[in-house]
Amino acid sequence: MGPLIVPGTLDSLSVIGKYIMDIAAKAGLDKKAAYRLRLAVDEIATNIVIHGYDEANRQGDLELRTELNEADLTIFLEDTGASYTPGQFSDRTDLHLPLEERQIGGLGVYLAMQGVDKFHYEHFEGRNRHTFVVNRTPT
Amino acid sequence: MAFDVSLEMTDSGIAKITLSGELDASVASMFKNKVEEAASLQAKRLVLLMQDLEYMSSAGLRALVFAKQKMGADVDIYVVGAQESVMETIQMTGFHHSIVALDSYDSDQIENI
Repeated sequence: MGPLIVPGTLDSLSVIGKYIMDIAAKAGLDKKAAYRLRLAVDEIATNIVIHGYDEANRQGDLELRTELNEADLTIFLEDTGASYTPGQFSDRTDLHLPLEERQIGGLGVYLAMQGVDKFHYEHFEGRNRHTFVVNRTPT
Repeated sequence: MAFDVSLEMTDSGIAKITLSGELDASVASMFKNKVEEAASLQAKRLVLLMQDLEYMSSAGLRALVFAKQKMGADVDIYVVGAQESVMETIQMTGFHHSIVALDSYDSDQIENI
């Protein structure tokens, strides 16, 4: 499937969702794996729009590319927003707390990391790249 | 499928919010607004009817946190008929400890205030 380039706004989330579900179907992922992958990409795209673009007073695109081989499906999500360290949110220590005592942030990155087999973030030449890898056969 | 949300208040003070379609960050404020409306009507219980909700990101979970904080910890939240994948997200994030999940609408349990 070809790349998808959409404006870095929340209105692009549904288009991204459809793109991911289409490639997941093409890769033969089961319903659960497809849903988790869509959730993972959606969560990160949401963070990029809110934190990378809006809060940083920046504008830019979200660029998605996919690579499909026998073993796995890889999604690359790139943007030119403010950089951040997703790892800083990954260790949720309050998942057992009642809702009224919780911090609101960080759930999205947690779900993204849990939802795929490999998750990677890198920052280079003013761009952020998130990589999501899903095995095509359940391990 | 487009997201839709509606609120119904019963005479006994139960707020029923019906969610359908896909709930992501672009539409989460619609859900939050209904929660706020229910809170302003002094709802004693919040019932979320999710049978037709096909997708929910953490933006939906944040609205639940908002509901608890806005309505008070003593207002029970019922999640009714959530689809498997939506329920999985609720469980992965530990939210199932703070809500009551039901397969179908149980009036004896929900309306017994």
